[in-house]
Amino acid sequence: MKGNIIKYARDNIDTDVIIPGTYLKIHDYTELATHAMEGLDPDFHSKVKEGDFILSGKNFGCGSSREHAPIALSHSGIKAVLALSFARIFYRNAVDGAFLLPIEIEQDAYDGISENDEIEIDVSKNEITNITKNQTYKMKPFSEIIGKIIAAGGLFKYKPDQD
Amino acid sequence: MGKTLFEKIWESHIVVEKPNNPSLIYIDRHLVHEVTSPQAFEGLRMNNRKVRRPDLTIATMDHNVSTTDRSLPILDQTSSVQIKTLEKNCKYFGIKLFDIDSPNQGIVHVIGPQLGITLPGSTIVCGDSHTSTHGAFGALALGIGTSDVEHVLASQTMWLEKPKSFEIRVEGKRKNPHAVTAKDIVLSIIKNIGTGGGTGTVIEYRGEGITDLSMEQRMTICNMSIEAGARAGLIAPDEKTFDYLRDREYTPKNYESLVDSWKGNLKTDSDAKFEKEFTLHIDDIAPQVSWGTNPGMTCNVTDSIPSPDEFSNGDLNQKRGAEKALEYMALEPGTLIENIKIDRVFIGSCTNARLEDLIEASKVIKGQKISSHVQAMVVPGSQMVKKQAEEMGLDKIFIDANFEWREAGCSMCLGMNPDILSPGERCASTSNRNFEGRQGTGGRTHLVSPVMAAAAAIHGHFVDVRELDLD
Repeated sequence: MKGNIIKYARDNIDTDVIIPGTYLKIHDYTELATHAMEGLDPDFHSKVKEGDFILSGKNFGCGSSREHAPIALSHSGIKAVLALSFARIFYRNAVDGAFLLPIEIEQDAYDGISENDEIEIDVSKNEITNITKNQTYKMKPFSEIIGKIIAAGGLFKYKPDQD
Repeated sequence: MGKTLFEKIWESHIVVEKPNNPSLIYIDRHLVHEVTSPQAFEGLRMNNRKVRRPDLTIATMDHNVSTTDRSLPILDQTSSVQIKTLEKNCKYFGIKLFDIDSPNQGIVHVIGPQLGITLPGSTIVCGDSHTSTHGAFGALALGIGTSDVEHVLASQTMWLEKPKSFEIRVEGKRKNPHAVTAKDIVLSIIKNIGTGGGTGTVIEYRGEGITDLSMEQRMTICNMSIEAGARAGLIAPDEKTFDYLRDREYTPKNYESLVDSWKGNLKTDSDAKFEKEFTLHIDDIAPQVSWGTNPGMTCNVTDSIPSPDEFSNGDLNQKRGAEKALEYMALEPGTLIENIKIDRVFIGSCTNARLEDLIEASKVIKGQKISSHVQAMVVPGSQMVKKQAEEMGLDKIFIDANFEWREAGCSMCLGMNPDILSPGERCASTSNRNFEGRQGTGGRTHLVSPVMAAAAAIHGHFVDVRELDLD
């Protein structure tokens, strides 16, 4: 999976800036996506491209349980969010609906990757390659459980291991 | 080894458990509101599924509703559609709905306990992060997203990785319990452990500082567990819990025998081990005021705004976060909290809009007028709270002081209905989140207790309510 980085170099990106409350009434996901990140970065919609990744700090997605947050990012074209850590409801929502991959990174990737860098993510090797800077970093592997739900394509397609 | 309260509730609700798989957990109560449910119901329809247990599912409308005259139509078309959609879905799937005209309408986390729907030892979910509120009754209460809402509607179960257990001990006694409230305790906790401090855990709040609290105060504590990143917050039930739930409209008929079984079981064993621990001593804590854009950015009312260097302790992202927060909040380091002038006051939300909150706030206001440059409103947590407050004459106290007295709903806590801040307006708010734009684009939120909000309304700036006579 390859894409370019949109970097928000701060912690605690909350769901109210990812999709402000006033837009939770919108049921059309394409329209919802036009307001993604509006609370923090009004230019997001004009700059995001299909296949881009977001890079950010700790506790990404904290706050509300609104699934609109990963949906708005996903329908903007974002395929993965790379962050030092995630708030758990956002993480779960992202995985449940197979909206995007929440990828936990280490400090070296956070420091090394800049805005617009082209990145390749290889989940099978738990590896992130920075094509622009010719660097590689380790991603934190998905837990076995999360890996199974992602591999199934979301919660509704997931079936537990059979005996 | 003994078990924690969380482990006991968890184990009694396992439907399927296999190593290296999530557990399938049975859900006793599912609370539904208009914002996070439409796509879930749509999913059921598309797959020809029914609601498995409509009798365990309860709905109300709170996020979107108008808090002004309800005989008038809702002007915002999208809000109106969302509300009508919930009505249609509840009718179609046979779910009990407390609609806009119901005397039981209110914020979902206020009505659950006051109707006796929230019960100790049960599992409760709702498509709302502040579901953690119900943990005050010793229920395992989880906020979930819309996919999980659909899963629970269809199956009355949800897949969950077992969270870790986190003990937060609150020790000591507050010297002035009318001035230093549950809100100040929970903000102090988040200030100390951080907004990610509880990530992946279920917090059990224990100690004298917790058992001393009333049920409504305990709800304020558990409500904000999510602001520390926790999955849920729990408090072991005791006589106060059992008394609170007795004789409510939906209290089970066999309540006394349930109480007998809860008494022995619903507590953490003395030899149980928690995976994480934190202790807060509250003898000397001050009223809290948030100064930044997350609930961890909080200080004592007697403090001044910290510099980003002071706040961040060398962490670059923390420093940058504090700089951005101060820029957004238009505040300078070194400014005394008591010198911050406010434009608006919001007393409301699932954190602090119960009867006791309104009683405490009214004591500050009685016989006074709000500052001429302040606009203030009270939005009771439910229509029942509103009615009880009116029976006590609290509405008159607020209205005489020039507060607006509104109908129940989430209102300005999250800015979905017309109750919002204008850009640049500064608000003393009893709600739970001070995120950028949360209460309206460009709005600036300071999280405080109801008494602190009430005092700020009178004086036009923050004041230390310990100096007021509140007894």
